[in-house]
Amino acid sequence: MSAAAQVTDASFDKDVLESEIPVLVDFWAPWCGPCRMVAPVVEEIAQQYDGQLKVVKVNTDENPAVASKYGIRSIPTLMIFKGGQRVDMVVGAVPKTTLAQTLEKYL
Amino acid sequence: MTLETGPQQASEKSLEAMRQFSETYAQRTGTYFCADLSITAVVIEGLAKHKEELGSPLCPCRHYEDKEAEVKSAFWNCPCVPMRERKECHCMLFLTPDNDFAGDKQEISIDEIRGTTNQYA
Repeated sequence: MSAAAQVTDASFDKDVLESEIPVLVDFWAPWCGPCRMVAPVVEEIAQQYDGQLKVVKVNTDENPAVASKYGIRSIPTLMIFKGGQRVDMVVGAVPKTTLAQTLEKYL
Repeated sequence: MTLETGPQQASEKSLEAMRQFSETYAQRTGTYFCADLSITAVVIEGLAKHKEELGSPLCPCRHYEDKEAEVKSAFWNCPCVPMRERKECHCMLFLTPDNDFAGDKQEISIDEIRGTTNQYA
């Protein structure tokens, strides 16, 4: 069972912007190789920070509105939201330590 | 595992065209596929799918407001401008030998590609 739920254009406000804990959003697309590479890292992060951090995924092909709203260009893009605001982002397939270091600032 | 239907794959014909292109272009530029060939497989499937749908192999590792307009502008048609100018492929299809993720292969078979992408489709 995946620890990171898929969110959509329709559920983004409720699932991400209204979350009471910080949210890591993985913007991905099905035939993007580096997205497949970063997916297990995102899953590990979801388990490691369970309860402190919500981790979700947005398929940019199926949810173009939210991808466009946040100016997603290169994918994968990992974006961190806190209190309804985008606070940081990491672009590309990054190692877990890099992602964890970025996240720690907001937890 | 997810119960949703996965993304569609390209036709064999488009896939073979992009597979051959990828091998030839890697050899011509002295670049290598990712040590993890499943990454290569996914990208080639994505290029083939775009070639079939849009007429050009638009990079599958970008989000576009308007795919048709992007194809016309040609910047992100593979091989994209950053690749042609600086050997930069953020999709990790063509990696220079100094890249930590570079493997030692410039070949991939249809079976290797579909062995990966059938799991996602």
